Amino acid sequence: MINVVKNLYQYRELIAALAWKNIVIRYKQAYLGVLWAVLKPIMLMLIFTLVRSFVGIESDDLPYPILTFAALLPWVFFQESASEGVNSVTSNAALIKKIYFPREVFPITAMVTKIVELAISFVILAGMMIYYKMVPTIYALWVPAIIFYTMIVALGISFFGAAVNVYYRDMSQALPVALSLLMYGSPVMYPLSLVHKKLIEEQAAGAWSNDLYTLYTLNPLAGIIDSFQRVVLKGLPPDFNALYPGVILTLVILPFSYLFFKRAENWFADVI
Amino acid sequence: MPIIEVNHLTKEYQLGHITSLKENVLNTFRRLGGKPTQQRENFKALDDINFTIEQGEVVGIIGHNGAGKSTLLKHLANISKPTKGEVIVRGSIAPLIEVGAGVNPELTGRENIFLNGAILGIPKKIIQQKLDEIIDFSELEQFIDTPVKRYSSGMTVKLGFSIATSLDADILIIDEVLAVGDLAFQRKCFDKMEDMIIRQGKTVLLVSHNIRQIERICKRVILMDHGKIYADGASAETCGLFYAQNDEIIKKQSEILHSNARKEKSNDIDLLSIELLNENSDITELITYNENVTFKINYKVNTPLENPIFGFGIHTTDFLYLATEITDNQFKDQTLLPGEYTVTVNIPSFPLLPGVYSTRIGVDAGKVTHNILYEENVFHFQVKNITNERSLSLCEGFIHLKGSWTLNRNSIFQ
Repeated sequence: MINVVKNLYQYRELIAALAWKNIVIRYKQAYLGVLWAVLKPIMLMLIFTLVRSFVGIESDDLPYPILTFAALLPWVFFQESASEGVNSVTSNAALIKKIYFPREVFPITAMVTKIVELAISFVILAGMMIYYKMVPTIYALWVPAIIFYTMIVALGISFFGAAVNVYYRDMSQALPVALSLLMYGSPVMYPLSLVHKKLIEEQAAGAWSNDLYTLYTLNPLAGIIDSFQRVVLKGLPPDFNALYPGVILTLVILPFSYLFFKRAENWFADVI
Repeated sequence: MPIIEVNHLTKEYQLGHITSLKENVLNTFRRLGGKPTQQRENFKALDDINFTIEQGEVVGIIGHNGAGKSTLLKHLANISKPTKGEVIVRGSIAPLIEVGAGVNPELTGRENIFLNGAILGIPKKIIQQKLDEIIDFSELEQFIDTPVKRYSSGMTVKLGFSIATSLDADILIIDEVLAVGDLAFQRKCFDKMEDMIIRQGKTVLLVSHNIRQIERICKRVILMDHGKIYADGASAETCGLFYAQNDEIIKKQSEILHSNARKEKSNDIDLLSIELLNENSDITELITYNENVTFKINYKVNTPLENPIFGFGIHTTDFLYLATEITDNQFKDQTLLPGEYTVTVNIPSFPLLPGVYSTRIGVDAGKVTHNILYEENVFHFQVKNITNERSLSLCEGFIHLKGSWTLNRNSIFQ
C-alpha cells in the first residue's frame, strides 16, 4: 500500500499529463466541450424528479432535485471512475506494449480524469444551493474526506476489473450492467433515511431487518451518498453507523484487488 | 560491473488464442482432481540467452524476422517478464522501442512533446528547458501547433525521435526507427546518436534490418536466430555471418521465384542460361578473388534484332548495383537472325572482394533502341579468398583499391 502512494508521488507528472491528455482528447473537437461531462448527472436528476412526481418519494424535507443531485454527484463520479478504470489498461495497449512504468498509473489516471468532471458538478451543486438559499455549515469540510473515500472504493473495483479485463473482455461488458443495478441498491433515487425508517424503525422485514440494514450499508456507496448529503445539505456530521460496514469491506477488498493487479501486471504486455 | 546482465533468459509464449473462461475453470478442476490438464503448445521466443554489456558499449542486434530481437528488447526494457532466467539492468533505460509509441494523433506537436516527455519520465522542467532544442531538431517549427493527425508519417517520426533523444538516460534502446525520415534527417539522427555514443558515453542497443548501418555504428553485434544467440562478436565478422545466412536463404528463394527482382520480357528474345567459367574453363559458382573469369550468357533470339546492345551487371543480394558492363556500339552494326547465341564477358582479374553476388542482364535492340529484356538476380555466385588468411582490406567493402602506403616524416618537433 505504501508502494502505491510512493508510485503515485513519483509518477505524479505522468498521471497529470495522461489525465490532461484524456480530457483534451475527449473534448477537443466538441463545441460544447467539457459541458458534456455534467450532462449525465443533470439528465438523471431531471428524470428522477419527473418520476418522483408520479410515485412520491420522501426527501427529508429538502427540495428533491438538490437531494438527488447531491446523491448523483458522488455516484456518477464513482461509476465513471470505476468503468473508465476497468477499461484503462486495455485502452492503452499501445503504451503497455512499448514502455514500462507501473501499470497502476492507468486506473489512477482514469480516476484523476474524472475529478475534473466532478469539479464542474460541484459548481452546479453550488449554483443549486444558491437557488434554494442553502448555506453550507462547518461540516462541509468533510467533503474532501468523503471524495477520497469514494476514490478508494472506485480503485478497489478498477484494479481488479482492469486486470481481469486484460484477459477476459467480458469484464468491460459486465461492469456497466452491475453498476446500473448497484445504483438502485444505493440511496440515489431515494434517501438512506427511507431505508433506515423501513428496516430499523418499522422492522419491515421482521427478524431479518437489522441484518438487512447492515447488508445494505455494506455497499460503500450507501454511506458515501448519505454522508455527502448530510454534510453538504443538512449541516450534520456523517452517520458513522451507515459508513462503517462499507469502510470495512473496502479495506478488506482493496489490498486483494491491488495485489491481484500487480501479479497480473507481469503478463499484460504478452496477453493484451 | 556490466550495465546489462542477461542470465539464462528464456521466454515462452503459448500458441493459439487465450483459453476461454470455461477451459480455465475445467483446468482448475482437473488440477484439483490430479488429472492432466489441457496444455496449449509452447513457443520459445527466447531460449537460454546469456550476455553482458559494459557501460558505453554500442551493440547491434540483428537476425531474421522472428529471431527474438524485439522480444529481447522488451525484456531489457522491463515490458515483458521472463519465463525463466533474469535480466539485470544497472541504470536508467530510455524506452525508444518504436519511436512515437506515445504520440497521440489528436494532440498538437507541442502538446505531444510534453505528453511524451512525461511518458518517458522526463521532468516537466527539463522538457521546458529543452523545448526549443527539441522543436529545432525536429524541423517542425511551422507545424508544432497543428494536431499530429495531420502530419505525414515522416514528420511523426521526426517528432518522436526528437523527443526520445532529449531524454537523459544511461541506456538507449533503438528498434527500427531510422527506417523512416528522409535521408537528410536520417543523417542528422545518426550524428545525434554518435554524439550520444561517443561524447556522452551512453550505452546503446540498436535493432535494425539495415545491416550496413549496424556495421557502421556498432563495434559489437549479436546475431540471433530462432531465439538463441547464434554469434556475438566484432561487427564485421558477425554481419558477415548474417550475410552468409541470408545469401543461403535468398539463393533458395530465388530458385523458387524471382519475387522481388525486376523483370521485363518480350517475345523477341529469351534468356536460356548464364554460366560462369573459372581460369581452367570449368563451369562453377565459386571463384576466387582476382581470378580470370568468364561469364557466358546464352540467348535464344526469336525475331531478327537490329542494333543489339547487351548489358551485364553485378549486384549484391540486397540489390546494391556494384558494376555494369555494356557493349554500347560494339555489335551495333549487326543484325541477329533467329537462333541461339552466346554472349561472353571476360573479366581478367575479378575485382570484387569475397562474398555472395548476383547478376543482372539486359538487352536493347531496334532501329530506335528500346529495351527487350531485363532481369535481375538471375545467377548467384560466390567469391572466396585466395588463402584462408583474413586480411582486413579484403573483408570490408566490395573492392580492393590495391593502394600502396608510404609514411614520411615531414618535420620533427623538438
